[in-house]
Amino acid sequence: MRYKRDERYKRNERYNAINAMNNFRANIMLCAGTGCVASGATNVKSVLEDELKKKGLEDEIKVVLTGCNGYCAKGPVMSVYPDDIFYQSVTTEEIPKLVEEHFLKGRPYEKLMFKEPEKKSAVPLMKDIPFFKYQVLRVLRNKGLIDPEKIEEYIARDGYQAAAKALTQMTPEDVINVIKDSGIRGRGGAGFPTGMKWEFCSKVRSDVKFMLCNGDEGDPGAFMDRSVMEADPHAVIEGMIIGARAIGSHNGYIYVRAEYPLAVKRLQLAIDQCYEAGLLGKNIFDSGFDFDLEIYQGAGAFVCGEETALMRSIEGKRGMPRPRPPFPAHKGLWDKPSVLNNVETLAQIPLIIMNGADWYKSLGTEKSTGTKVFALTGAVNNIGLIEVPMGTPLKTIIFDIGGGIKKGRKFKAVQMGGPSGGCIPESLIDIPVTYEDVVKTGAIMGSGGMVVMDDNNCMVSTAKFFLEFTADESCGKCVPCRVGTRILLDMLIDITEGRGKESDIEPLEDLGRDIIAASLCGLGQTAPNPILTTIRYFKDEYESHIKDKWCKAGVCRSLCTFMIDEKTCTGCGACMRACPAKAITGEKKKPHNIMQEVCVRCRSCYETCKFNSIRILPASAREKVIW
Amino acid sequence: MSGSVLVVDDELVVIKSCERILTAEGYNVDSASGGAEALRKTEKTSYDLVLTDLKMPGMDGLTLIKLIKRANPAQGIVVITGYPTQETIKEALEMGIIDYVPKPFTPAVLTDVTRRAFQWIKGTVGGEKPKDEFPPAMIAELDRVIREYKNKPGCAIPVLQRAQEIVGYLPPLIQKRIAKGLNISPAEIHSIVSFYSFFTMKPRGDHTVRVCLGTACYVKGIETIIAKLKDTLMIDVGGITADKKFSLETVRCLGACGLAPVMVIDHDTYGSLTQKKAVDALGNYASLQTAEMSEGDESAAGKGD
Repeated sequence: MRYKRDERYKRNERYNAINAMNNFRANIMLCAGTGCVASGATNVKSVLEDELKKKGLEDEIKVVLTGCNGYCAKGPVMSVYPDDIFYQSVTTEEIPKLVEEHFLKGRPYEKLMFKEPEKKSAVPLMKDIPFFKYQVLRVLRNKGLIDPEKIEEYIARDGYQAAAKALTQMTPEDVINVIKDSGIRGRGGAGFPTGMKWEFCSKVRSDVKFMLCNGDEGDPGAFMDRSVMEADPHAVIEGMIIGARAIGSHNGYIYVRAEYPLAVKRLQLAIDQCYEAGLLGKNIFDSGFDFDLEIYQGAGAFVCGEETALMRSIEGKRGMPRPRPPFPAHKGLWDKPSVLNNVETLAQIPLIIMNGADWYKSLGTEKSTGTKVFALTGAVNNIGLIEVPMGTPLKTIIFDIGGGIKKGRKFKAVQMGGPSGGCIPESLIDIPVTYEDVVKTGAIMGSGGMVVMDDNNCMVSTAKFFLEFTADESCGKCVPCRVGTRILLDMLIDITEGRGKESDIEPLEDLGRDIIAASLCGLGQTAPNPILTTIRYFKDEYESHIKDKWCKAGVCRSLCTFMIDEKTCTGCGACMRACPAKAITGEKKKPHNIMQEVCVRCRSCYETCKFNSIRILPASAREKVIW
Repeated sequence: MSGSVLVVDDELVVIKSCERILTAEGYNVDSASGGAEALRKTEKTSYDLVLTDLKMPGMDGLTLIKLIKRANPAQGIVVITGYPTQETIKEALEMGIIDYVPKPFTPAVLTDVTRRAFQWIKGTVGGEKPKDEFPPAMIAELDRVIREYKNKPGCAIPVLQRAQEIVGYLPPLIQKRIAKGLNISPAEIHSIVSFYSFFTMKPRGDHTVRVCLGTACYVKGIETIIAKLKDTLMIDVGGITADKKFSLETVRCLGACGLAPVMVIDHDTYGSLTQKKAVDALGNYASLQTAEMSEGDESAAGKGD
């Protein structure tokens, strides 16, 4: 007998869950992630259920709310099982038609299917859609398949088997060896090997140790942790139980941002269910192992993603980092040995325990094993959450999965690693995405945010955007970061507002390097990265901002002039209607004109014009124009 | 806001940042780099408010406060300090300072403290005393939360989160009550409140509009949306509308980058925003005073069953 007390419970529930699915002819798995809910998934659900009732199908077809599917841009999305048909951008108006066609007549409804961009032909199956085709789902294995608010459904998909194995059949050393052997590295950003972290902590003798989960996803542009916590909270909890067993901890906290209310709610529900099922608390699986888990809500400070700061925050203080050593594995939360792992890391642990290290290593590269989740956003066609094997070329991610750049514009750079990362230019787009290769470009893997930028984005103001962030979020404890980021930011503001000097670029780089060398924690040590990488790859843009007072992307308002090209302007009047300042004049079908003294340089006309007739010229062009 | 402020600090960076922040708020700002210079300036001109550091070479902050107060007991003074120990703050409070700003501070904290100091100055001039404006029930609930958490380690942040839910914001009075209840110094509670962006010392409107400043939203032009919201509501970020219906805030990243640009009103997420969509969304919560939006009202009211 491997586990007595919970076996009966588990077996029953497992069958119930399977039966529940079998009792229905079809299951509609409707995404209820934050993205789809914002696009109207809640309404879709009620209308869908009403419609099914109207047609007398309520006993045959079940609507299940699932966690985030990842394809947020096309929300609300849903897939119908067992046929595996995928529908996107579902609106309430289309539902009667959909129910009639698909469930009464048995003909999948083409109108709501994914369309191939060129041929415009419908793609019915999820696995054939390019966005999903290149993905390998490990962390996101349960996305869209289970109701995250029901533990039975997680168990039905082999949930808590790994925890049972780790607790009843393996010693803590076994667990650590498997994890070490798998080569998994922390998914929070720095990529420290998880097995090593656990080993350090397990070797420290202490009556109290803490197992912590970092759900303080602060990087702007990254949302994979939120998604995992919302779509598969039990995977995180199971990973924590296994980790706690490995290091010998009996208390744990999940630190979640207060900005993620749905994640907090679902995690709390999952924890309550675990206590009820005996998967948390005393004597789990009759193994004699105890583990208590609590949620701790953060209060909005980016620096709390740093491990020592996060621990200070759980202690109820200002979340400021402290110098290491002592490392948290020796002295962490309340000075007790602690291990802090990222959400995405923990969600993979059960898989490694179940399938072994070799299975895990079969994907990825030698030094970066397994898969990585990325939040692909910005100027690409297919926005959403993706999971690919480590070592997938950046090009595949952006052009195959991401479907290329919106409106056929030109790819300029991809920002990786948030405020700690950098911009990777087009010339490096063939690099495989691994920890080592990304670091070589000057960016970092970070938590996996990938923001794609096109020629509409100005790299100097992008750097400024990130510096504004870090200067504001700097906790103020160490001088290089507190004062240094402020000075960098001031210099960038000067450049974007036309007060830059040619001698400015070098000090920017020097100061950036000094801040990296002298700062106390990861925030300061990485804060200059956005500047350094943009100077490295887009120095010409800095120079044109400084020398020519020209922001070619038309983003820095003081450094550009918008003008209409008389040769190509058709006089359609679209820009005139779009202009909020009423600065555009002209008769119908004759070339229009922009009154420079009225123009606020908001880009509205530039974005509206279908004929590419708006030119962006240097600021000096304004004076030359005679009215 | 208008009024004159004298910033006293030996660090040029602090003076510069105070100047930038307060000038943007509409105050007239003057500065002095030391106690002696500040004293000369206060003798020559009268300022509504003096912001001063405590630790300075030469004449220190406490001496300066003492001398200014001797010359002009009604002078409003706010202390900026990187060392908010109980003793110095207590001493300064006894000398009659209005408030203090712990270093490092965010612009929001500085403007907030300054605004409150000005209100206080005006209040005292008019002879009105700030009164306890919280209903007893609210205070009782707060005390219950404090009792519930009191013996848990690291309870300050959860209590403050709950307190903010109950009261809506965390004014000094509430902070002091929590500090007393948890047996933590008020300075420490204040240092926590000012550190985390989730906590606010300003009252909020009935509905909180929180606009995402994440990278994806930035790339997709959230700035124009913020400008539009500011225009429509006629407030700045961090402000509250005159009818107290809306307050406008920004948040680092809502983690809904797939829908960028995004904002959240109360608990509802609005994605793929355009300027028009953003303004329309406001209409779902309350009729706007500025824009004449006739539709929307009845449909909201007509949902009986």
